[in-house]
Parts: sequence; C-alpha cells; structure tokens
Amino acid sequence: MSGAKGSSRGRAALRLLRRRLIQAVPLLLGVVVINFVLIQLAPGSFLDLMTAENQVSDPATIELLRKTYGLEDPVWMQLLKYIWALMHLNFGFSYRQNMPVMQAIWINLPATLLLMMSSIVLAFAVGVAAGVVASVKVRTFWDTLVSVAAMFFFAAPSFWLGIMMIVLFAVKLGWLPVGGMETIGGAGGGLASVLDILRHLLMPTLALGLFYAATYARVMRSSMLEVAQADFVRTARAKGLSRTKVTLSHVLRNALLPVVTILGVQMGTVLAGSVVIESVFSWPGVGSLLFDSVSSRNYPVVLGIMVLGSLVVLAANIAVDLVYMWLDPRIEVR
Amino acid sequence: MERFAFLGRFARNRGALAGALVILGVAMAAILAPLFFPTDPLRIVAQPELWPGEDPAYPLGTDSLGRDMLAMLVHGARATLLIGLFASAVATTIGVGVGAIAGYFGGWVDEISMRSSELFQTIPNLIFVLTIVVILGSTLQNIVIAIGIVSWTPIARLTRAEFLALRDREFVQACRSMGMGDLGIILGEILPNALPPVIVLSSLVVAGAILFESAVSFLGLGDPNVASWGRLVGDGRELIRSSWYICAIPGVAIMVTVLCLNLVGDGLNDALNPKLRDR
Amino acid sequence: MQRKDPLAGPRASRPAHAHEAGLEARGPVRLPLEVTDLSTTLFTRRGEMKAVEGLSLAVGAGETVALVGESGCGKSMSALSIMRLLPEPPARIVGGSVRLNGRDIVPLPEEAMLDIRGKEIGMIFQDPMSSLNPVATVDKQISEVLMAHTGLGRFQARARAHELLEQVGMPDAGRRLDAYPHQLSGGMCQRVMIAMAIACSPSVLIADEPTTALDVTVQAQVLTLLKSLQAEQGMAMIFITHDLGVVAETADRVVVMYAGRKVEEAMVDDLFEAPLHPYTAGLIGATPVPGAARAERLADIPGMVPPLNALPAGCAFAPRCPRVMDRCRIERPALTEPAPGRRVACFATGTDTA
Repeated sequence: MSGAKGSSRGRAALRLLRRRLIQAVPLLLGVVVINFVLIQLAPGSFLDLMTAENQVSDPATIELLRKTYGLEDPVWMQLLKYIWALMHLNFGFSYRQNMPVMQAIWINLPATLLLMMSSIVLAFAVGVAAGVVASVKVRTFWDTLVSVAAMFFFAAPSFWLGIMMIVLFAVKLGWLPVGGMETIGGAGGGLASVLDILRHLLMPTLALGLFYAATYARVMRSSMLEVAQADFVRTARAKGLSRTKVTLSHVLRNALLPVVTILGVQMGTVLAGSVVIESVFSWPGVGSLLFDSVSSRNYPVVLGIMVLGSLVVLAANIAVDLVYMWLDPRIEVR
Repeated sequence: MERFAFLGRFARNRGALAGALVILGVAMAAILAPLFFPTDPLRIVAQPELWPGEDPAYPLGTDSLGRDMLAMLVHGARATLLIGLFASAVATTIGVGVGAIAGYFGGWVDEISMRSSELFQTIPNLIFVLTIVVILGSTLQNIVIAIGIVSWTPIARLTRAEFLALRDREFVQACRSMGMGDLGIILGEILPNALPPVIVLSSLVVAGAILFESAVSFLGLGDPNVASWGRLVGDGRELIRSSWYICAIPGVAIMVTVLCLNLVGDGLNDALNPKLRDR
Repeated sequence: MQRKDPLAGPRASRPAHAHEAGLEARGPVRLPLEVTDLSTTLFTRRGEMKAVEGLSLAVGAGETVALVGESGCGKSMSALSIMRLLPEPPARIVGGSVRLNGRDIVPLPEEAMLDIRGKEIGMIFQDPMSSLNPVATVDKQISEVLMAHTGLGRFQARARAHELLEQVGMPDAGRRLDAYPHQLSGGMCQRVMIAMAIACSPSVLIADEPTTALDVTVQAQVLTLLKSLQAEQGMAMIFITHDLGVVAETADRVVVMYAGRKVEEAMVDDLFEAPLHPYTAGLIGATPVPGAARAERLADIPGMVPPLNALPAGCAFAPRCPRVMDRCRIERPALTEPAPGRRVACFATGTDTA
C-alpha cells in the first residue's frame, strides 16, 4: 500500500464527506418545515403544543414562549423563529422529565444507538453469510433452507418475534432476561457489566435485525450468483486459484456492493423499528422515550425526536457512503 | 395472448399460487366475517384465558376478558386488510403522481421530486407516523394517510424510471405530433404501460402497510375503535407468562398474510420478467 | 513446404514444428500440448449441443497455432475445454485427451488442475477491462498467481510483479502496481493479463481473441509483445481469432474450425496460398490461386452456422458450400491428409483449383 494511493482515496473521502454534509442541510430544513406544518395543522394552538397542554400559569414562561416562537407574528415569521430556535438546539422544554427536550433525548440516545448498531452488524453479518452459503450451495438443501428462513423473517412482525422470543427464552427457558438494558442491582463493574448488557442486548438485536438479515441474504445470494458469471471470475479461475479464494476474494468483494447500498437506504426504517423493539423489551432508549411522550402527549419531545432521528439517519447514510467508497475504488467524487 | 402467458407463468410458480389462494381465503374470511360471527366480537362470551382446544366452542380460546379469539381474529382481518389496502392506495396515488411528473417533465420538477422523496426517506418512517398520529389524532383516516405518506417513495422511484424509459418512445412522439396535451399523454398513453411493475410493487406496499399498522396498534396508539390484529397482539402483552397464545395467534395471522403477499408479489414480478429469473 | 520459424527461441533444439513429428507424438518427442479427439457437449434443456467434436491438434514449443472460425464454431469452447474451465452444469468433456507435457489432464481431479492452471498453462481473454477484478489493484492480481504457485511471500511477489510489468512493456510500471483496472487503458489491462498469464512461465499459453477489443495501434503492440515473450520463454501458443490479418502476422500453423469440428489445417503460408476447404476459401474471400495476395479481412459467407443441437446429416458446411455435391449431404467427410502437415475434411478436395 503505497502512500500515494492511500491519500488520494483519503482525499476523495473528504470530498464526499463535504458534499454530503452540504446536501444534508436542505434535508434537515425540510424535516423542520414538516414539523412546523404539523404543528400548524394540529387542533389547538402552538402554545398548547409547546407546553404539552400543560396549564402553564407562570406569565414569565408564557411570555418567553411567545417571544421565542413569535406567536403574534405572521406564519412565515413563526417558521423562521422556529428554525432559529432549533438551530440553537432549543427544542423546548419537557415538563414530564423536567428538563430541556434536547437533554431528555440526549440521555436516551446512546442506548438506541447501541441497539441500532448491533442490529445492523448482526443483520449484515448473518445476511451476507447466509447469502454466500446459499449461492455457493445453490439449489441444494442449504439454499432452500436459507430462502425459506428469509421468507419467514421477512414477513414476521418484529414486535411479535420479540414477544415470542421472550416467551421462549426468558419465560420458558429462563436463559435470557425479560427486558431492560441492565440487571437491576447491578452486576458489578467492568467486564461483568458489559456481559450483562450483552445478555440484555441479544434478543432485541435479533428481533430487530433478523428482518434485515433476510433482505441481505436474498440480495447477497443473487448478487453472488450474478458476479460469479463475470469475466474476471473466469480469469481468476484460469490463474489456478482455489475455489475458496475465487469466491471470497473475487466474487464476494464485488457482490457486497449492492448489499451495502441497500444498507444505506434502510437506515431510517432500522431506527424506526427500534422504537417498537424498545417498547417490547423495555430498552431505555429514544424509542421508549417516544412511546412515553406519545402516550402523554408530550409534543415538544415527539417533534424533537423526529428532527434528531432524521439527523441520525443522515449521519448513518454518510457513514455507509464512506464504507461503499472504501469498498469500490471506481467511485469518483468530484 | 400476452395476458395468458403471464397468468400461465404465475400459476406455475407454486409459491405464488399458494400465496394467492391464502390471501383469497383471508379476504373471504374478512368479507364473510359477519356471516360466521354475527355477534360483536368484542363481547365477552366465556371465561377469560381459555386456551385453544380447551373448549370446542372456542377453538382459538379466549382473551384476558373472555372474548372469543377466533371471532376477533376474523373480524380483525377486515380491519387489517382494509387499512393495508387503503394505505397502499394512498401511497400509490402519491407515488405515481410524483414519479410520473418527475419522469415526464424532468428538469427542476424532477429535481424537486427527487429531493422530496429523499426527504421522506430520511425521516424514520414509524417515528413520522407516530408524530402525525399524536399531533393530529389517532383516527383511522389519519393512520391510513400517515402510512401512505411514509410509503410512497419506492413507488415514485419506480414510476419515474418507467416514465423516463417510455417518454422517448415512438408512440409518445406520435401522440405529441398529433397535438395531444401532456396530461392526455401521461394518463392515456404512458401510464397504462408503466403500471404493471407499479402494481407489483403495490402488493408489497400492502404487506408493508399491514406491518406498519400492526406496529402502531400494537403500541396501543391506533384507533381505539378498531381491533386489528396488531392491537390484539398488544392487548395480550400482559399475559405472556400464562396465556401467550393471545399474542401468538394474531401475530401468526399477520405473518402468514404478509408472507403470502410477498409470495404473490414475487410471483407477479417473476411472471412479468421471466428473463430475470434466478433459477 | 517447411516454414522456418525465425522466432524460435532457446527451446528450438526440440522439434518445434509439430508437423515434423506428425500430428501425434512418436518416440521420445514430448510436445507441450497435444489434443487428441477432444469432444465437448453442452447438455441443455433444448437438447445436446456438440460444441467441440473430435478435435485434434498439437503445438510444439515456441510454435504458434492459430484457431480460426466464425463465432460459435467452437474455438473458445475448445480453449476452455483444454483449460478445464468449462461451465460444468451444462458443459462436459465427453471424449478425447489433452496431453500437457505428456500428461493427460482430462481425467485429473479439480485439485490437481489448480496446480496446472496458471502454472503450466496460462490463458488470456478477449475483453481485458472486464477480465480484471475491478476492486483489486494490479499488484494484488499479479501477486495472487505468484503466491499461489510459487513460494513467494507478499513483498517478494510484489517485486516480481513489478519485474513482470516491465517485461510486458507497461509504462511507469512502479506506479501502475497500485492502480485499479478502471484507471488503465485497454492496452494496459491486456498487458496486465499477459503478465498474470506468463508469471509462472507456463509451457503453453492460450490467447482467446486478445486484440479484438483493442485499438488497431495497440493491437500491433500486443501482438509484438506476445511474439517476443514466446521467443524468450519458448511457450507453445494457441491463438484464437477471427481476424485473418492477425493470423498472417503471428501464426506458424492454422487450424480452421466449423460447427465444432476441425475442417482444415495447414502451415500459414500454404493456407493462404491454396486453401483446400471451401469454408477456408470463403473466409479468405478469394478463390485459391497460388501466389495470390492474402485478404486482410473475413469475407462474409452467405448463410449461418447451423445450431449445434440440430446439425445437418453429412457435412455441416453443405448448406452454404459453393462446391456442394450430393455426397456431402449424406456422408460426413473425414479428415484426410493430402500432403504432410495438411489436413482437410472435404469431398471436393483434390478437385483441381489452379
């Protein structure tokens, strides 16, 4: 790996990063506008919404809210003030948690990110492996097994899958905990804590990730079968390389590309899926916060989650793009 | 003749055929529900938490309040299927509309359409639905529209691709030279040809909508007057230790329905594009 | 009628001209490649297709045999059969032998073939840009074959890859090592392919239309390169092409194929001066007249190659043959040897042409 090659790819990556960040701005703006439109469409006033229908009697607070959101001003002015507030990360105040919305979300974010990442990693690893196996052993029992399993997991609602897993592994067999992220009472520090979290993480990850694993398995299988027909695979075989080497170094590396593309497209749905899974497993993340806020009509939090959720999706998309660029040297970024 | 070839290919795909039959069965059950179970399914009829098979009068048991599981299941089929269909219709309408004008007119219209579809793809879909529902109220209409709003983007992209491909074909040029207006060409000429793959995609969107609606009502955030399958699963959550069948059975129903819709969708896809078949 | 090969290299001490030893090995002579009666059939749903039928050819060290014919005549399938690279489900070698340095490789198990491909026999393909792995560097692709067959480690392989790139005339070889195929031109990609193919000094090199997808100027460079490498290493080369100009430039001997069968074989000069088979004559686009100028391009012969699962009885070329007789439609002509080193499968042979 000569330095020249490495840095030119590094520079291309930076160019991609810059371009995607610039593209992200209008998207975020769009999300904010949609937020605003929803607020306007709601029955009840803006004030009702932002105070979550709490009876806020303190005149100073009311006055502050009026000023911040320009409730006396024309609509377009309100929009601008709303955007301005959001840019200062002022999503409002959550009376239920008694803290700024931003803070409430921030506290819950790591748990959700952990769940999201582990689900994506699991889905990718399992899906790719299953797809490769199915393509190598095409039209045999293993291929059929993978296809049938994929159909099953693709159709099963993730919340139902989660509940069934709880019934089997937690209630009946007692192997895994029923819910939560950590055992109450603590498991001791360090490694024991980590293992404890992992035990709690296993079922939610499976429930969330297997759906996507099914998609990736299918795509990987057909991608592998298609790439195997390519000219350069024939060249690799003509060089006398072993079947394994050809499959892994040549076919797999090229067949991965469509799967990575799909990964990027599905980021939004993964985050959304975690909302349901967090509810099923009482996982203390943003999903649980959302559920709680929806039930208690805590509008500022709900709106804040929509914006921040979109932000997470954008960041994840950029990360996936960078990974794709690393995998495929043909990508040119001007 | 084209139609017969298409149907023939579809029929030969056993999975798709089985899927279609099951869906038909589910639909029939939904339509005929009042016939088999004329009484209100939400009425309490027996002792609570009867397991399936314990009492032959209630083959699928009863729920936590003593309501007949089978009756609720069959009635729930209506709600689930209808919501899926309507939400898919909303998504298809929006998607085809946006995709058609993007593909036909190109230029800045295309740009804006693509940016907006990107926008709707960035917002995590369930979060979007929940936000809409919480702010505007959890009525059936809102839920259907909300699900439609988050599901239109793949349809738009497909329609756009079809329109881009068909826009420059000779028959369109011919229409234009005859003086046909844009709207006439879009609706009368290009759309009928662009529809088949879109219809295939719509069947998969129905499956997605069903999963969506199930998730929303599972969380207890759906229309309180509608007892769809998702809501049934959600209602049974408290009892998973003792009577987990209350959660299991409606969930299986959802899974089977979605599975069959997927099979049908795949079958339609294969029948449309026989050259692209894997095997 | 013997053509002396001025490019015969160091191995010229062995009989480099197979026709001298007869087209089968006799006595102590061990030809690098000897194909005897090779037959390959494609088993498809639409019937059995005899892609190659009863092909025999031999190539001596430092000798170039051109395999010529229209597309679909079986030349590529023959090459893939020799390499045992056939797509296994539909295709299978159903008869014959392929002796590589005396050893029949047809019955060998796949593991044994892994040692042979890339090491004793190499192959380069038609479209160089799509024949290279798009996500791997040139270095990696060349080093791969070195590390698989020789004991070289990573860094040694890279150094050797560098040498090979220079040997194949790649400009700025050092930098090109870390390039990806999409960054190289067609000619450069082909040089990389050649480097990969000759990396382990194989005794036989098969070139399947290596210049067809390249510019005319680059074509000449690649052909010169191949000939000089052959001279240096004494490889036996099979050159598959439909371009008669290339045949004239590079080949010592020519084998003409039609519908999976060999229909004529001759030294290159003899073939152009006096083609015996009507198909060959048609390809050359001139009536056989001694001393006539060679045509540069393939002339069009009216009609099409018959589908391989529905070959006519009798001679496969009969439907299109300008010299067809009744006998041709009933009986298949066998290969005859009207002169040493010349073979032809035609009932009309021997008819006066001058």
